[in-house]
Amino acid sequence: MDFDFTDDQDSLRDAVRRWVDKGYDFERRRGIVQRGGFSREAWSELAELGLLGLAVPEASGGMGFGAVEAMVVMEELGRGIVVEPYAAVALVAAPLLAASAAPEATRWLKDIADGSAIVVLAHQERAARYRIAHVETVATRDSAGQWLVSGTKSIVPAGDHAGAYVVPARVSGGPDDPAGIALFLVERGAGVTTRGYPTQDGACAAEVTFDRASAVELFPAGEGHAALEAAIGRGIAAVSAEAVGVMDKLVAATIEYMNTRKQFGVAIGTFQALRHRLADVKMQLELARSMSYFATLKLGEPPAQRRRALSQAKVQLGQSMRFVGQQCIQMHGGIGVTDEYIGSHYFKRLTMIELNCGDTMHHLGEVSARMQDTAGVFA
Amino acid sequence: MDLNFTADELAFRAEIRAWVAANLPKEISHKVHNALRLTRDDLQTWARILGRKGWHGFAWPKQFGGPGWNSTQRHLFEEECALAGAPRIVPFGPVMVAPVIMAFGTPEQQQRFLPGIRSGDVWWSQGYSEPGAGSDLASVKTRAVRQGNKYIVNGQKAWTTLGQYGEWIFCLVRTSTEGKPQTGISFLLIDMKSPGVTVRPVRLLDGEPEVNEVFFDDVEVPAENLVGEENKGWTYAKYLLAHERTGIADVNRSKRELERVKRIAKAEGVYDDPRFREEVARLEVDVVALEMMVLRVLAAEKSGKQPLDIAGLLKIRGSEIQQRYTELMLLAAGPFAVPFIHEAMEAGWQGDYVGAAHCAPLAGSYFNMRKTTIYGGSNEVQRGIVAQSLLGV
Repeated sequence: MDFDFTDDQDSLRDAVRRWVDKGYDFERRRGIVQRGGFSREAWSELAELGLLGLAVPEASGGMGFGAVEAMVVMEELGRGIVVEPYAAVALVAAPLLAASAAPEATRWLKDIADGSAIVVLAHQERAARYRIAHVETVATRDSAGQWLVSGTKSIVPAGDHAGAYVVPARVSGGPDDPAGIALFLVERGAGVTTRGYPTQDGACAAEVTFDRASAVELFPAGEGHAALEAAIGRGIAAVSAEAVGVMDKLVAATIEYMNTRKQFGVAIGTFQALRHRLADVKMQLELARSMSYFATLKLGEPPAQRRRALSQAKVQLGQSMRFVGQQCIQMHGGIGVTDEYIGSHYFKRLTMIELNCGDTMHHLGEVSARMQDTAGVFA
Repeated sequence: MDLNFTADELAFRAEIRAWVAANLPKEISHKVHNALRLTRDDLQTWARILGRKGWHGFAWPKQFGGPGWNSTQRHLFEEECALAGAPRIVPFGPVMVAPVIMAFGTPEQQQRFLPGIRSGDVWWSQGYSEPGAGSDLASVKTRAVRQGNKYIVNGQKAWTTLGQYGEWIFCLVRTSTEGKPQTGISFLLIDMKSPGVTVRPVRLLDGEPEVNEVFFDDVEVPAENLVGEENKGWTYAKYLLAHERTGIADVNRSKRELERVKRIAKAEGVYDDPRFREEVARLEVDVVALEMMVLRVLAAEKSGKQPLDIAGLLKIRGSEIQQRYTELMLLAAGPFAVPFIHEAMEAGWQGDYVGAAHCAPLAGSYFNMRKTTIYGGSNEVQRGIVAQSLLGV
């Protein structure tokens, strides 16, 4: 048992932190948000740092790193509330492509790693909420045997900027049947239309409609749901780590504010009501950090244990994010509810992360459904 | 990063598990698993069994006859004991006073007092709190006045847990009223059989005489029973409190009691009620998160690479969870937690239970656990400490 980082992981963290601190400050971020929530230049810088190929196998031009490295990077990007869809591309879509036997996947992996292409998982549907087995988008074969995908996917991260999508589509069964789900790679082109929009936290997303769009099968029915579920699991670990970084920075800003802001002639950090609230905030932050580690370190477990662990983690993260976010805004007073102040943007990001990969209520239901007689870190 | 214990640690765990299974008396673990009343004999029997193995002072270094385990091994030992249904080791001797005697006592004091603690034969009590000194411990008023080669002690200690069984008591006493309150305190070991010592049990809200008032009326204490230097007792008291960093979270016991919550909820037919079940699920997440936090502290101690300043959070969270599981058990029993049948807390009671035997102790446990957020530095005091370390002032 060991929760230390290796020297290489520390170096990776330092490199990302340097880029965030110097290259992605609040003013630059504000500009990116105003121009639509995605910057090609920033994306290229992430590629130059090698980060886009973090989970891409070395044979495909990546670094072939593991879950702990992904966690380290996400914590640091969280500290800067980076809006570019790093996790969606590098930590969710790339491993899906890497795990596929389809030859086309390799070519896209190379392009992901060098930053020339964006590929994202487009799985959300209007009626699905957080049930990943609910897929109404369909895939059929034409007379030549070519797969064609039809349906609409919602809130696809940077959907306007993507060159291709990983799309769960139904080849058989009813709308909630996991066995009938296959995963396809669909290039943006004929039969694909997008409608982009900004998101609440300054990033961008799109509604993506597929109308008999040509598709390559990445995972056939029978394997698609398991691959999708594993990808969402990596997403949970990624956003959990991101949330820890977001909270770290927000709590630090709050502590600084409590020591400088004066009311009634003294620093507000002298008031016991606020001091105790701060202790509660720290508690939630450390519980969240503990469960972020837990999520990352459980990614390699068999599916049943992994799913239970990830849901447990997301419940803790959800509770922590809401408490830390709300209370840090509260302790700032009026300045906390302005757009001008950076803290409000951290709060908005925390709020949106809860709605990503399943909210607290959803995962509490999952934990509840998966409870065993014994529980614990090693259960 | 690696979540798993090493092969050596797992082998160690297996060894402890096998030993506890072979040596923990079934009648005692039955009481623990069912929250029945433990007697002095139960507690001391287990202490002596551990003592014979050299594990009563499970956190002791080899130099003083302990096993010399590291923090991870200590955690695994405590976990195996808790899951097997062993009573908690009464901490006042082996966990609290012994480390102070080891660090600050004379060789004579070490030879005189440590063997009886190690073997589990001598029952120690804690003389810290007073009627006027609870969270504000530094305001203790019990006086010890030096007269030749002895101290004359007058005053009163409060909340002395299981003090009715105590043979010795370690006390914070005031030896000076000059300077800050912290500077005039001394650490004194007092034989409870001394003339002038009176112990009066205090019944708690669950009806059990768990704590006591201890009165000192011109009690003569040999000066050789002073630990360390006069007026330096506050330093030793803080050392004592800092000594056990993760044990106070008691996460292992919470894991065991979470299992009991589920057993009782199933028996009472509420485990499939989604409203109740989600509360259990919440508690399960809380327990896992606390365990992860404990493991982080243990791992940081072991590696020494980066300091981890979160041990103060463990007491707060651990105590909240202890309260919560007793609350859920109470709610699971519902109306059948209402009857108060004092004898039903005895193992082997042959009378008629109302509802089921498992319902009898639930309200009492819930009542009793209100203490956890109050003792050992109330959770409000703990929050103050956490905030101070964050804000720097």
